Amino acid sequence: MSDRTRGLKDVLWALALAGLVAAVFRLRFGLGATTNLTDRVPWGLWKILNMVAGVAISTSGFTVGFLVYVLRLERFRPLMKPAILVAFLGYGCSCTALLFDIGLPWRFWHPFVMWNGHSFLFEVFWCVILYFTVTAIELAPTIFQKLKAEKAAAILHPVAFGVVVVGISLSSLHHSSLGSLFLVTPERLHPLWYTPLLPLLFILSAMGAGIMFVVLVRILHAHWYDREAVFGPSRVEHELLIVRSKERNGAERRPVAAGPDMPMLTSLASIGTGILGVYLLLQLFNLIASGSWQALLEGTWESWLYTGEVLIVAVLPILLVWLPATRGSPTALGIAAFSASAGLVLNRLDAGIFGYFQDAGEVYFPSLIEWAVSVGVVAAAALVFLFFAETMPIFRTPVVEAGRTRKFGASFDSLSRVWYAALRGGMERATLVAVLVIPPAWALMYPPFHTEEPPDVTPAFRVTRDSLRIDGNGGGVETIFPHADHQERLGGDTSCVHCHHMSLPGDETTPCSRCHRHMVDSTLIFDHARHTVAVAKKEELAGLFPENHTCTVCHTKGETEAASTAKHCLECHKENTDWTTEYDESDTLAWAVSYMEAMHKNCMECHKKEAEGANRPELPDCSICHRSLAPRIADKRTVLVGTRRSRSRIP
Amino acid sequence: MKAILMDATRCTGCERCVAACIEANDLDPVQAQVDRAVTKDGLSENRFLSVPKVEEGRFVRLSCMHCLEPSCVSACLVGGITKTQDGPVVYDPDKCIGCRYCMLACPFHIPRYEWSSPVPFMRKCDMCAGRQNDGQVPACVEACPYEALSFGDRDALLRDAHALIGSGEGRYLDRVWGEHEFGGTCVLYVSDVDLGVLGWPAPGTESIPSLTEPLIAKTPVIGLGVMGSLLGINWVIRRRMKLARDGNGPHDGDGRASETDEIGP
Repeated sequence: MSDRTRGLKDVLWALALAGLVAAVFRLRFGLGATTNLTDRVPWGLWKILNMVAGVAISTSGFTVGFLVYVLRLERFRPLMKPAILVAFLGYGCSCTALLFDIGLPWRFWHPFVMWNGHSFLFEVFWCVILYFTVTAIELAPTIFQKLKAEKAAAILHPVAFGVVVVGISLSSLHHSSLGSLFLVTPERLHPLWYTPLLPLLFILSAMGAGIMFVVLVRILHAHWYDREAVFGPSRVEHELLIVRSKERNGAERRPVAAGPDMPMLTSLASIGTGILGVYLLLQLFNLIASGSWQALLEGTWESWLYTGEVLIVAVLPILLVWLPATRGSPTALGIAAFSASAGLVLNRLDAGIFGYFQDAGEVYFPSLIEWAVSVGVVAAAALVFLFFAETMPIFRTPVVEAGRTRKFGASFDSLSRVWYAALRGGMERATLVAVLVIPPAWALMYPPFHTEEPPDVTPAFRVTRDSLRIDGNGGGVETIFPHADHQERLGGDTSCVHCHHMSLPGDETTPCSRCHRHMVDSTLIFDHARHTVAVAKKEELAGLFPENHTCTVCHTKGETEAASTAKHCLECHKENTDWTTEYDESDTLAWAVSYMEAMHKNCMECHKKEAEGANRPELPDCSICHRSLAPRIADKRTVLVGTRRSRSRIP
Repeated sequence: MKAILMDATRCTGCERCVAACIEANDLDPVQAQVDRAVTKDGLSENRFLSVPKVEEGRFVRLSCMHCLEPSCVSACLVGGITKTQDGPVVYDPDKCIGCRYCMLACPFHIPRYEWSSPVPFMRKCDMCAGRQNDGQVPACVEACPYEALSFGDRDALLRDAHALIGSGEGRYLDRVWGEHEFGGTCVLYVSDVDLGVLGWPAPGTESIPSLTEPLIAKTPVIGLGVMGSLLGINWVIRRRMKLARDGNGPHDGDGRASETDEIGP
């Protein structure tokens, strides 16, 4: 009986179980560890796919209800129960997925008692919950019928029309409000999707594509259970029919290759695509009226997405349903229905996720766990759908053969061999228990996957290389600066201030020339005595008499007292400067830390210490170094930031 | 209504306000330091306040703007966020269900979520509402060594801001950020550079609740209207069907009525 769906059910069971495991992970480790949601993209797959899109695609309950109960179009009556079932399961999916999405699931009842009438989400919550109840009431007679509780079903009969009317009102409210949810993001949502018409667009597309979805469900049901009803007789039978009709009528009149339900489905799809046509016109009107058509012509990722979405949600289904060539073909109708449904989901994903990428400045892709829960919930709903389809009088053609009386529980085996087997056999029962218990238990023991490694916060000042490359004036000429050597010669770890202190506030690097420029300057870094000794030693080694020559090694003869006559440092220390080599980023040298970092880490410590000792509490204040309203550095300079190897040139 | 006015030209980016904020809100300073390095704008669930660099040498204080008509307050479905009389927009963790609609609704991307916690809450600046109740100024204002921040009555601060712009001899741009944008905010800025990077919209952008609240006020009307029209349509159709059945109704090609009769329940 259900051989056709056996493989499908196995897959659905696997997905549903995977979803269950993922859900346990999510509850155990929280949203951050299990989802890819961020502060910039706070709403992800569960909210948008399961809630916004899931609710939208379940519109069938109210649209078909409107056609059948209010407009009294009795020809759609056979689709009433499938439509209600789809709505019930769709809303059930949304509520279930939302339970995992909200941060504190055990507080799901809060909106019942804590009201905020200004919130569209509040309205959506109430309408969804109420409408879910409505679909449950609408579905109840079918279940009562199955359970042979006709009395209970009879109680519900008189209120059926009222329930449907209430349901339609609730639906018309929350389907538009789902669009209004995004009205709060005028600055964030991409202009192709943001429009004050969002509520209207949302309800129109949901109605149109929701109708197409119930058509799709009917066609899929037919594909699995009663092919003839929609697809007509099989190929062989079809050929036979042609032969027979030829014999009978003698005419070339070919019977249509479609089942008895096709006219009804085509008629319903005409209504659905008609609504989608209105939706399409409204979209075009909005594009022109709001001027967002300009964004469409930009050729961005979003504009292509928008174009594709509109094509598959409206254009393709309308063409397939209305063109004479494809009208009446079950396959074409199936494609049209699938296209509209997929387009609706894509539209909701666009308006809820993709449309925010530009503003968020980052791309969100759901994590494996998000996918697992999202798909698992839908798979579970599909299983329940198949269960209902097989055991309850949902569709016109009953699937369970008449006369085959089986108990409710036992009939579950048609849904799942796993379940059935577990109910019966000892070994199988153990297997089921293992499947249900071990993964969650394992999940409970497992450490969170995205264990956030504390990022390596580089201390602001850390000499990582003995030598630094310095380009003090940003002129593009670098010199190799033996930093460790300087440190050692100037007195070790506490010696930084000898150089770094010399720079004026506002400087971000300390050029050598700031120190090495003037021998008799009071900010002397140039150690004259040391140079004299060093030069004398060199002269001595060269066999000269130092006392006669030492001064003139650097100074002009006769004017040795003047600093201005001294040689340029580089004339002797040329070995430290590499004028020609183009440095490779990966070489062993590091860029010098910036003045700011050196200052903040090193100087501030002393300032703080001194502040206590000298009772000068203002010493560590920023304003000690940073002048208020100081003129900004106007000249172009190269800023060397930390030990990062790249430089950014400030315009 | 109290407000904070920032003179962006006076800020050196020393982040003493951040340190004070961390202390006042009892946040984890080490984690805050880490978050400073890994987040784009320096805000996190451990860091309600940051001082991003707008351009070279120009820093601004960034945290909750405490809008006069806050989008988050309007969005929260359980009413967990409220705008108090004194100005602060405060969050009630006891109501929150974790839907994160406030984060989507905030035009400034301010609310942060405790993603790493299994029992997560939204975190953001509350303008030191507790300190204000005790008669103190917000911690960040108190900490600023530069007097870049000032705290006081919003109207008085607005007057100060305009006076500052007028006396600044063209140093400031002629705009007080937060005066009208999104219906006005309780954090105001004067600056010599454009502050659009903080999320400020074009001048005079209306508040977000003004986009949604008129619509949601119509909800009961729409609901009842739909219900009424449904009953009306249904009454007309039933009547036409009845008339058709009785034989004295319109016998035109009303396929709907006749068809219904044929199938019949």
